[in-house]
Amino acid sequence: MLFAQLVVAGIQTGLLYALTAAGFAIIFGATRIFHVAQGAAFALAGYAFLMSNAAGLAWPLAALLAVVVAVAFGVGMERWVYRPIQRHEASFFTVFVASFGVTIIAQSLIEVSFGRGFVTLSTPLTQARPLLPGLYVAPVFWIALAVTAALFLGLAVFLRFTRAGIGLRALSESPELLRSYGLSSSRLSVLAFAIGSALCVPGAILTAAVTGLQPSIGAHVMLISLAATIVGGIGSVSGAACGGLLLGIAENLSITLLNTQWSEAASFIVLFAFILLRPRGLFGLASTR
Amino acid sequence: MSALLSLSGLNRRFGGLAAVSDFSLALESGIVTALVGPNGAGKTTIFNLVTGNLRADSGQILLHDKPIIGLSPHRIARLGIARSFQDLRLFGHMSVLDNVRAATEPTSWFWQAGGAAARQQRRERVETALERTGLSGLTQARAIDLAYAERKFLSMARIIATGARIWLLDEPASGLDPRSRAQFVDLLRSATAEGVTVCLIEHNLDIVTEVADRIAFLDQGRKLAEGEPADIMQDKALAAIYFGDRT
Amino acid sequence: MIAYLVNLATLTTIFAVLATSLNILIGYGGIFSIAQAVFFGVGAYAAAQVALHVTPDLLVASAAGAGAAALLSICLALPALRVRDEYFVIASLGLQMLAVTVFTEATPITGGFGGLVGIPPASLLGLPLTDPNAMLAACLGFLVLVLVLTRVLMRGSFGRSLMAIRDNDTAAEALGKNVMVLKTLAVMLGCAYAGIGGALYSAQMQFINVESFTLDQSVLIMAMVIIGGTGTLIGPLVGTVLILLLPAALSFIPGIPPTEIGVVQQMIYGLVMTLLMIFRPGGLVTLRTRRQ
Repeated sequence: MLFAQLVVAGIQTGLLYALTAAGFAIIFGATRIFHVAQGAAFALAGYAFLMSNAAGLAWPLAALLAVVVAVAFGVGMERWVYRPIQRHEASFFTVFVASFGVTIIAQSLIEVSFGRGFVTLSTPLTQARPLLPGLYVAPVFWIALAVTAALFLGLAVFLRFTRAGIGLRALSESPELLRSYGLSSSRLSVLAFAIGSALCVPGAILTAAVTGLQPSIGAHVMLISLAATIVGGIGSVSGAACGGLLLGIAENLSITLLNTQWSEAASFIVLFAFILLRPRGLFGLASTR
Repeated sequence: MSALLSLSGLNRRFGGLAAVSDFSLALESGIVTALVGPNGAGKTTIFNLVTGNLRADSGQILLHDKPIIGLSPHRIARLGIARSFQDLRLFGHMSVLDNVRAATEPTSWFWQAGGAAARQQRRERVETALERTGLSGLTQARAIDLAYAERKFLSMARIIATGARIWLLDEPASGLDPRSRAQFVDLLRSATAEGVTVCLIEHNLDIVTEVADRIAFLDQGRKLAEGEPADIMQDKALAAIYFGDRT
Repeated sequence: MIAYLVNLATLTTIFAVLATSLNILIGYGGIFSIAQAVFFGVGAYAAAQVALHVTPDLLVASAAGAGAAALLSICLALPALRVRDEYFVIASLGLQMLAVTVFTEATPITGGFGGLVGIPPASLLGLPLTDPNAMLAACLGFLVLVLVLTRVLMRGSFGRSLMAIRDNDTAAEALGKNVMVLKTLAVMLGCAYAGIGGALYSAQMQFINVESFTLDQSVLIMAMVIIGGTGTLIGPLVGTVLILLLPAALSFIPGIPPTEIGVVQQMIYGLVMTLLMIFRPGGLVTLRTRRQ
């Protein structure tokens, strides 16, 4: 039963990674911006939720605040960091370093404001209950499952059936096509950042409830979701989701094979295997420049 | 007499699209051959097949009667085949001088083989290349700071400096003003006079008639005709394809 | 006070070697690695083992550090050859995370969390380096060697080939450059330098553990190169001095509690990196000033 228990835990972690990675993939797909500060959005949203909740705000309002913080961060990055850079130079290196710099700033701001230790939320939802003999599942697992499923469904509908969603998909394939469609690409890239940033909020809130937050959580989540994006195939939203799920499960299952120290390393062993053996990822098209 | 470089029966498909089909061509020493045809006819793909950037699905490429298919691009380059790119691909953040010097240094090690004598030879090649392209006065400028025509000549200077005997030029004269164009024609003439074999892709038919000894006309990956410029230019059917597709 | 300054100068010298090592990869090779602390660590552990069990001679230890780092640099060269920028950055981050686990777990070689203690004071060709000034002089000597070698190689055909690949690899191949060999050599050279840095570090500290070889350290080294200026000889040196002097400078500013200096320092270099990328992406020392 340990195995089943770990698979459940793996799915739960994996779902959170999947959402964050999908957010990253939407941004990268539509704008070609390698937004590593996605991890910072995750951390800021998580802390915004925890702190406002602790200050007495009801949880739906706190969650709303977290969404506002994440979206404001993402859109602010697009407006004040990436756009000025792309005006003079669009090299991958420049964008990456700027984004990485912001991640460092966010992490140290959180550290100064809220301290270095773990902060967490105590809720009965994380208490495990027996589902089968020997298999314990906390209600938060079902919440994670339901929220992720609902969001991915919503996302799929949005990308397929709305004008803006179709525009976002077109942007990743051909910006010229889009102009004839009558949508502005700069508006769409703001939209991509808003949606992509909002997608990391559920993961941030659930992580706050399940394991707690610490300032370096942003860097950790960023790493995993980037790895998930590569495993899934860069730019593919469904690939990123599957990659996230796969890495979450690998991280937890590795505990049965290796000792706990190696559980984080497991993700990167998977990542390395993909980079060396199948750089296109699970769903990726030919690896483009 | 066997050709210096001979392509025979080359095929290459991208997905369902045949980019090059059953293409054959022989390049003779000191001869300028122009590949002419509408956009998307497969001309650049043929260059990529020769230089090893793409692999042919089938067919044979012989250099001095030895097959070169399957060799990596840098090996093919070292056999004496130099190419230019439509988008030039200069080393943007390096100086003009370093761009040209880099073309004379193929040894992939911490230093070049051959000692002082070879170094002197490389230096002379760099000087010749810079002189012939009129870039001697700009050696310290960065490639990205050059004007358009200067960039085109820098790309030519790199090719001259390699010392290669076969040049594959992808639209080398496009966008040049008349004076630069004349300079380019002179450059090409002096190279062929020394026995360099040239194959070029060019849309400007005036230039083609001016420099080419032979023309191969392509459409949709196939060679429709090959011959002396005068004969090809008078072919009404080809003109219809060429100008029809261009508008 | 003097002892503190000499120690700071020695550490600055060691980090200057590290920044130069990363500059080979990022600045000249266009290989954007965030795993330089891994090879710093490999060099430090290898050198410490040599010092503990074979000889305290700094030359031997440095050779061991450089050799071990160059050997393991294949872990970085493989992804660098196979995948493009975005993928490679992540691969290097992954390598960094993996290496920290390995450093922590491979107790027989690295001493695990406790690290390696009691590394004997170094000597150089039989002369003891117990005096901090002598150690500083030795480290400066190594830095000068590294800088001279870098200058010779980067101004020569090797540097030109590397920069050609950095600027356009297809064109470089068309000129006969073997991209695979050149990139591998660049990675090996850069990592060997980092290994030398590690050897000097273990001799200077006489104690090493995994905390010096984490992602934070890699980011610090990256910040030195990027803030100073990539692809120039002096840029990384300027960056190193600025970043290492920052905590000392901050401690003079009233109102910052000593425990928070590390955080404030991070915030400042995060901010500087971002602002530089927006307004001056070449770094403080840019190429333009080097070429008229």
